[in-house]
Amino acid sequence: MNLLRNYRIEKRSDIGVPAQVLSALVALAVALLVTAILVTVAGGDWKDAFVSLYGGAFGDKGAILESLVRSTPLILTGLAAAIAFRGKIWNIGAEGQFFAGAIGSYWAYLTFEGLPTVLLWMLIFVAGCITGGLFGLLAGVLKAYFNVDEIITTVMTNYIVTYMLALILSGPWKEPGSVYRHTPQVPDYIRLPILASGSRLNLGFLLALLAALLFYYIINKTPLGFEIRALGSNPVASKFKGISVSRTVIMTLLISGAVAGLSGAIELFGSQYRIRMDLSTGYGFTGIIVALLGGLNPLAIIPAGIFFGGLINGSIRMQIITKVPTALISAVQAIILLFLLASQAITRYRIRRIRDVE
Amino acid sequence: MEMKNTSAQIEKENVDYVIQTKGLSKRFLNVVAIDNISVEIRKGEIHCFLGENGAGKTTLSNCLYGYYQPDEGQILYKGRPVNISSPSVAIDLGIGMVHQHFILIEPLTVVENIVIGTEPMGLLPRLDQAEDKIKSLCEIYGIDLPLRAKIWQLSVGQQQWVEILKALYVGVELLILDEPTAVLTPQESERLFDVLQQMKEKDLSIIFITHKLKEVMKVSEKVTILRKGEKVDMVNTTDVTRKDLAHMMVGREVVFRVEKDEIARGKSILEIQNLHVANDMRQEALLGIDLTLYENEILGIAGVAGNGQKELFEALIGVRNVDHGKVILDGETITNHSPRQIMARGIGHVPEDRIKMGLIPDFSVAENLILGHHRNPPVKKGISIDARYIQQFAQECVSSFDIMTPSVNQKTKYLSGGNQQKVILARELKQQPRIILTNQPTRGLDVGVMEYVHRQLLQKRKEGSAILLFSEDLDEIINLSDRIAVLFKGQIMGIFTSDKFSLDEIGLLMAGVKD
Amino acid sequence: MLNEFFKAAIIINILAATIRIATPLLLAALGELVTEKAGILNLGVEGTMLMGAFIGFLVANKTGSQGIGLLAAILAGGVIGMLMAFMSSTLKVDQVVTGMGINLLGSGVSLFWYRSAYPNFSLSDAALPTITVMEKVKIPFLSDIPYLGPILFSQRMLTYIAFLAVPVVWFFLYHTKFGLLIRGLGENPRAIDMKGVNVTRLQYLATIFGGMMAALGGTFVTLGSTIRFFPEITAGRGWLAIVIVIAGNWQPGRIMVATLLFALLDAFQLQLQGIGVQIPYQILLALPYIFAIIAMMGGRLRSVAPRRLGVPYQRE
Repeated sequence: MNLLRNYRIEKRSDIGVPAQVLSALVALAVALLVTAILVTVAGGDWKDAFVSLYGGAFGDKGAILESLVRSTPLILTGLAAAIAFRGKIWNIGAEGQFFAGAIGSYWAYLTFEGLPTVLLWMLIFVAGCITGGLFGLLAGVLKAYFNVDEIITTVMTNYIVTYMLALILSGPWKEPGSVYRHTPQVPDYIRLPILASGSRLNLGFLLALLAALLFYYIINKTPLGFEIRALGSNPVASKFKGISVSRTVIMTLLISGAVAGLSGAIELFGSQYRIRMDLSTGYGFTGIIVALLGGLNPLAIIPAGIFFGGLINGSIRMQIITKVPTALISAVQAIILLFLLASQAITRYRIRRIRDVE
Repeated sequence: MEMKNTSAQIEKENVDYVIQTKGLSKRFLNVVAIDNISVEIRKGEIHCFLGENGAGKTTLSNCLYGYYQPDEGQILYKGRPVNISSPSVAIDLGIGMVHQHFILIEPLTVVENIVIGTEPMGLLPRLDQAEDKIKSLCEIYGIDLPLRAKIWQLSVGQQQWVEILKALYVGVELLILDEPTAVLTPQESERLFDVLQQMKEKDLSIIFITHKLKEVMKVSEKVTILRKGEKVDMVNTTDVTRKDLAHMMVGREVVFRVEKDEIARGKSILEIQNLHVANDMRQEALLGIDLTLYENEILGIAGVAGNGQKELFEALIGVRNVDHGKVILDGETITNHSPRQIMARGIGHVPEDRIKMGLIPDFSVAENLILGHHRNPPVKKGISIDARYIQQFAQECVSSFDIMTPSVNQKTKYLSGGNQQKVILARELKQQPRIILTNQPTRGLDVGVMEYVHRQLLQKRKEGSAILLFSEDLDEIINLSDRIAVLFKGQIMGIFTSDKFSLDEIGLLMAGVKD
Repeated sequence: MLNEFFKAAIIINILAATIRIATPLLLAALGELVTEKAGILNLGVEGTMLMGAFIGFLVANKTGSQGIGLLAAILAGGVIGMLMAFMSSTLKVDQVVTGMGINLLGSGVSLFWYRSAYPNFSLSDAALPTITVMEKVKIPFLSDIPYLGPILFSQRMLTYIAFLAVPVVWFFLYHTKFGLLIRGLGENPRAIDMKGVNVTRLQYLATIFGGMMAALGGTFVTLGSTIRFFPEITAGRGWLAIVIVIAGNWQPGRIMVATLLFALLDAFQLQLQGIGVQIPYQILLALPYIFAIIAMMGGRLRSVAPRRLGVPYQRE
C-alpha cells in the first residue's frame, strides 16, 4: 500500500527569460483584475474606468506624447533603483534625491543665470546630479563606515529633504506675492526644448533614453557593473576576491542618487517649470516598481516606465469621465508590485506528478 | 512446497527490524540523489552507511528523518509501513538524527536548545525540571557539559554532545549520526564510540554515516555501501576488509596515497609572527601564531574546526583584521593589507565553502574565472571588460582543468561540487601564485576529484609554490604535507616534519594534550 | 526665555506629551520586535500603520463608534500581516521589496479609499469628515499625585495598553514556550524545523501580531489624536518604529527607552514651536529623522540582530 502523495511542488532548474516575461504579464493581468474589483467596491464602473484609462494613456497621438512626458522621471528614478538593487543596495531615497536634484539645479540656474543657454543647461544637469549624488553619497558613507542601513538613511533623508524643501519654498525661493509655496516659473529660454510641437514632449525624454543606454553599458560591460552584480549576488565571495565592498556601495549610491537628482532637474526644467511641494508625486517610489517590472534591466525599464507614465496620464481622463479618483493609480502600482513579486516566486516552482511504486 | 511465506512469518521477520526501506528514490531537480534503495536495520544494531561524498547517504537518512519525502518507495518502521512526512512524525516514531552541520541556536543555552519544541514543554516551560532530566542522562552516558552555557561558548566537540542529547532527551529508539567524527579529535571519536556501545546495550539502534573506512571497521556490525545513489551491497563488518570496502565504495582499485616526490624545500617566503586575531564574537581566536612558509613545501595545519583555522585563513587573505603581530612577505610587512593587495602579491586561495566564499553562483563559469581580476588588463580593456578575452580564457581553463560544463556561460550554481572546485582551482592556479592558501580543499568531493586536487597541489609544490593546507581530514594532511603544525585553541601546539608523523601524537595535540 | 523652560508646568507638559507621543511608536515597535525575532524583516510597518489610522478613522466616522473602528483597524492590520507572511514565509519573496510594496499599498489604498469615500471634499474645505477623539482616562487616586499624576496617569486607554504591552511582550518572549520558539526561529529556523515544529505557522503568527500592533498604533494617530484624517498622516512613524527596534537591541525594555527618547525629542520640539522659538519649524520637524540616523551610527548594535533576520527559510 502506498502512502505517498501524487503531486509534489518542486523547484525549477532554470527560469528562462520567456518564463520571466510571461510571469510579469500574468502578474499584470491579475493586478488588473484586482483593480477592477477595487473600482467596483468603491462604487465606480470598472469598464468605463479602464476604457478611459487606456484612452487617456495611449488613445491618440496627443495622449501618447503626454504619456512619454510622464514616463521621463519614472525611467530615470527606475534607473536609480535598478542600479542600486542589482547590488542589493536598497536605495529607497530616490524621492528625496529627486527633490535635492531639483533644488540643486534651480540654485545653479539662479547662480549662473547670465551664461549662454546650452552651457547653462549643462550646469543645471550637473548640479542636479551632484546634489542628488551627495545624498546618495551620504547614505553610502554611512553604510560603509558606520554600518547604518541604507534603507534607514535614505528613508529618513526623504523626510528631511521634504522639510528642507518646505523651508526653502516658504522663504527664500518663494514666488513673491503668491500664497502658494512654490518658486516663480522659470523663463522660456531655459526650459528644455520641445521635441514634438503641440505637446510637452521635451529633451528630457531623450536624456532619459540616453541614461538608460548608459546604465545598460555600465552594469553589463564595466568592472564597476561587474562588482555591483557580484556584490548583489554573493557579498562574501566578492569580498574574498578583492572587491571593495565600501567602494562599490559608495559609488553605486552616488550614481543612483545622481540619476535621481537629474530626474528632478529634468522634471523641473522640462515639464513643470517651477518647484512645488508636489514636483514629484511619489516618482521615487514608482521608480522602484518600474525597475522591478523591468527586471532591473535598464533597457526593459524604458517600456516599463512608459507603461506607468501612461497609467498616470490616463488616470486624469479617467477621473474626469468616471469620477474614479486618480489616487487609484497609487493603489494599482502597489498591487502590480506585489503580484509581480508573487508571480516571480511562483515561477520558480512547478508541480510534478510522482510515480508510485507498488 | 510453500509458494509464499505466510504473513505471520513476514510479520515476525519484519519485527526484528527497527526500520526498513524498499525501493526508495529521491530526485532533486533533475539529479537523482538515491535510486531504488532497500536497507534493513535491526534492533540494537550499529549499522554504517558507507559511501563517498555525494553517494546519497545523507539524502537517504534525511528521508528516514522526514526532512525529505521520497519520490518512490516505502519505509517500514517496526514492520509497519509509515509515511514520514515531517521530522515531527519521525520524532514521534522514535527516530532522532544528529546532522553533519549542527543546527543549534547559538544565543540560547544548552538546556534551551534541547528543550525547545519538545512536548513536555508546557506554556511556561519548566527549564529546571528539564535540566534535571538532562543531568541524569549525562550521568548515564558520562557526558560532561556546562548545561547553562550558551552554545556559542562551547567547543565544537561539546556542541556535538548537545546534538546527541537532543535526541536522547526525547527518547529515541533509532539514532542516525551523520559524519559525527568530522569535527572530533581521534580521542574524542573514541569516546563517542564508547557511548555508542552503551546505547547499543540499551537496545538503541544506530545508523552511523561515514566515509571513513577505519571507523566502519571499528564501530559497526553491518555496513550498507552506497555509490552514486545506489546500494552496492550490505555486508557484515567482520566479513570484509578495508580494501574490500574501499573497492565497493569507489568501484575500482583505490590508491590510498598520492605519489609525493621528494623535493628539497626552497627559501622562506612568508613569515607569520605572533599573530593575534579575534573571532566574530570578538574573542581572541589566535593567541600568537608563529609560522613560516617555504617554497616547494606544503605546510599542513591539523586541527578540529573551531580552533582558529577560519580566523587564520581569513587574516592571511586579508578579510579579517589582525590585532597584533605581523605577516611578512619577502621581507615586506603586509599585515592587514586588503584582499586586493594580497592577491596582487601572488597569494592565491581556495576557501572552505565553494558556494558561499569561492564563487558567485549566479555568474557564469567564465565570469567566475576572472573574479578578482576584472580590473586588470587583459580582462579590462579601456574602461570596459573585454568579453572576447573572457570567453577565450574560460575555454582554456575548461580544457586544461577538465571542467565538465555544457558551456563556459553556464551559471556555476548548476555545476557539480567537484567541477565548482575545479573552477576555483583554475582561477587561482592560472594566476601562477607563489603562495596558495587552501582550506578544506576536498570537503564534500568524491575520490576522483580529490585525487585531482591533490595532484594539482603537489604539482604546484614542485613548481615552487608555498602551500598552506588547512584540513580536518587527517589522512589528507598526512598524505600531502611536508610539515604539519597542530592548531589548538588558537595556538600552535607543535610542528612535525614528515619523517616524524605520528597519528597518535598529532591526535593528542589536536585535543590539547601536551606532555 | 530659557528660564521659561524650567517652569514646572512646561516640564509636565513635555513629559505628558512624551508619553502620549510614544504610544503609536511603542505599539508598532513591540509588534515589529516579535516579527523580527521570528526572522521576518517587515518593512511595511509604515503602510500598516497608515491603513490602521485610516480604517480606524473611516469605520469610526461611518459607524459613529470608536470601538468598532479600533476593531476594524486591528483586523486590517492582521490581514496585511498575513499578506506579508504569505509573501515572505510561503512564497519566500525578497522581504525588503515586499515591505516597500506593502507601504505603497497602504499609501495608495488609503488615499484612494479616502477620496472615493468622501468625494465631495477637497483638502482645503473646512467641512472635512471628522470623528470624536478618544477621551483621556484618569486613573483614580494615581492621577492626583502631583507631577506624576498628569504625566503618567491621565492618558488615553491606548497609551496604558501600549506601556503594559512592554512587560507582557517581555514575559511572552522569555518565559513562555512560544516565546522560546520564536526566539529560536529568528536565529536558526532549521533547528526549529528539525524539531518538527511548523516554522511557517510560527512566522505567520508573529507577522500577523506585528501587523495588528502596527495598525493599533496607527489608530492612535487618528482616533487617539486628531479629529481629521489626511493622507500620509503617519508621517514616517512606522519607519521610526523600525529604527527603535534596532536602537533597542531587540529587547522590550530598551525599546521602551528608545521610544521615550524619540518621543521626548518630538514633544520638546512641539513645545518649542508653542512658545515661538525662532527656529523654523521645519527644522524642528526634521529632528526625529536626523536623530534616527545618528542613533544608528552607534554602530555595534547590528550584531545583536536575529541571525537569520530577513532570510527566507528553505528546506534544502
